[in-house]
Amino acid sequence: MNTVLFTKELKRNRKNTLIWTSIVLAFTLMILSIYPSFSHMGEDMVKLMSSLPEEFAKAFGMDEATWSSIIGFYATYYGIYVTLLMGIYTASTGATIIGKEERDGTAEFLLTRPISRGIVAGTKLAVLGALFIIIYLVQTLVAVIGMNLFGSEIAWDAMVAMHVHGFFLIAFFTAAGVLMGSFLSVKLNYMGPIVGMIFGSYFLNAIASATESVEWLAYLSPYHYLPLTLDQGALEPNLVACGAFAVLTALMVWVGYSRYLKRDILG
Amino acid sequence: MNIIETHSLSKFYGKERGITDVTISVKQGEVFGFIGPNGAGKSTTIRTLLGLLAPNSGEAMLFGQSILENGHELRRRIGYLPSEVDYYAEMTSRELLEYHANLYGLENAGEKIRELAHYFELDLDRPISDLSFGNKKKCAIIQTVVHEPELLILDEPTSGLDPLMQNRFFELLESRNSKGTTIFFSSHILSEIQRLCDRAAIIRGGEITAVEDITTLLAKQMKKVRLVLASDTKVELPEGAQNQQWLGNKVLFDYVGPTKDLLQWLGRQEVVDLTLSEPDLESIFMNYYRR
Repeated sequence: MNTVLFTKELKRNRKNTLIWTSIVLAFTLMILSIYPSFSHMGEDMVKLMSSLPEEFAKAFGMDEATWSSIIGFYATYYGIYVTLLMGIYTASTGATIIGKEERDGTAEFLLTRPISRGIVAGTKLAVLGALFIIIYLVQTLVAVIGMNLFGSEIAWDAMVAMHVHGFFLIAFFTAAGVLMGSFLSVKLNYMGPIVGMIFGSYFLNAIASATESVEWLAYLSPYHYLPLTLDQGALEPNLVACGAFAVLTALMVWVGYSRYLKRDILG
Repeated sequence: MNIIETHSLSKFYGKERGITDVTISVKQGEVFGFIGPNGAGKSTTIRTLLGLLAPNSGEAMLFGQSILENGHELRRRIGYLPSEVDYYAEMTSRELLEYHANLYGLENAGEKIRELAHYFELDLDRPISDLSFGNKKKCAIIQTVVHEPELLILDEPTSGLDPLMQNRFFELLESRNSKGTTIFFSSHILSEIQRLCDRAAIIRGGEITAVEDITTLLAKQMKKVRLVLASDTKVELPEGAQNQQWLGNKVLFDYVGPTKDLLQWLGRQEVVDLTLSEPDLESIFMNYYRR
């Protein structure tokens, strides 16, 4: 890793990271802050929600626990908003962090300095990892603080399982972004394909949960293997899936990295 | 010792031709010209030399080592000036040059950067996005030479520079060359090659058509002659004249031969007006390397 490049790259991504982290934190706090109003409605809310079509509730992971505990309430929105937002940010950064230099024409400058391509790509991926960790840790920390502020107690087991699943899920999307960036043209706007990939994965799982006839669709979605919603207020970490997704993530990053080493840098 | 050496270097972009069987060698301390019209393969050759493009076949050696194997170490000894200058728009020139110096591990480069910026009249504190092409080029020149490389690879280096700055740049190159720096100078402007280079390779359609000493090249160089004579009477043109076109008392022709003979012939004519111009490279290639 090259520390000069690492520092410069972190600085270049500072503004974007700040904006996306602020959005994710705002969502997290907004979700948690509205929980007290729902919980005060108690039984009425549970009754009201039970009138929703069962398929709809299943699709979005809502059950009684959603309204009776802050962790249940948070879990519903963590899947819908927070991981989607973080995934979109880290995957789009992953897709562009290396190719951006080619798109902007600065690759010629960077790759004619005395640094090997391996070091350049490795350093950029290290920056990506750092940005991912920053946004993930800050969001987790703020979620814990928010739960303490707006809820009575934290169900730590479910919280840890949800965030561990979230970690591997976002890491997987980030790596998919890196892989996408290594295959597609640098001039392409990656946002569309990335939003499509992440929303598609989420809704594939949601539709499969709601409709028995297409249950098999869930197998195509990473959300199926790393669930974020609670089942009757509980969630167990799926360590086998975590391990498998860690391997897949590493594999995608390695393929993206290897392709970058061999890529022609056009003017 | 050859500082640059390529053997049958070929590069294709898919099915599209880049360069074919390019073989050149540049000796230590030499100023080597690389001439060719736009699209001839000059930049492809340079990009392959620098390891930005992987060749389909052949090899490129710098300082006797393969660029693909030892590129990052070899680049420490090279200063590269690209034809198009694309830098980080959010940086100022100073930030970019300091970044460059840091990537090279240069200590105390600030003073050198200031000296060169003063020499080229570049405001270091303006954002790169606000700089004209000429000023970006000055910034590029400074990053090319500030680490005092042993080899300069220059791709269309004077584009965007005004004549005063071109002259300063040439003086800088001459000074560096006198201290032993090898220069690979790619251009489509023949007069620049004539001024600086000892030898030159001509590339056309991706292939090297000739490698010549500059003196040989000059002897073969064609001139375009436009004459207005006092009368309509057609006169016999000097030996070496070709492609003549008469329009009343005006005649246009290409001349290849000793300049002294042309001047002697002109002295015998009643000339009202005379224009001598350098032909474009395409004409030279057509006349001398495609016959």
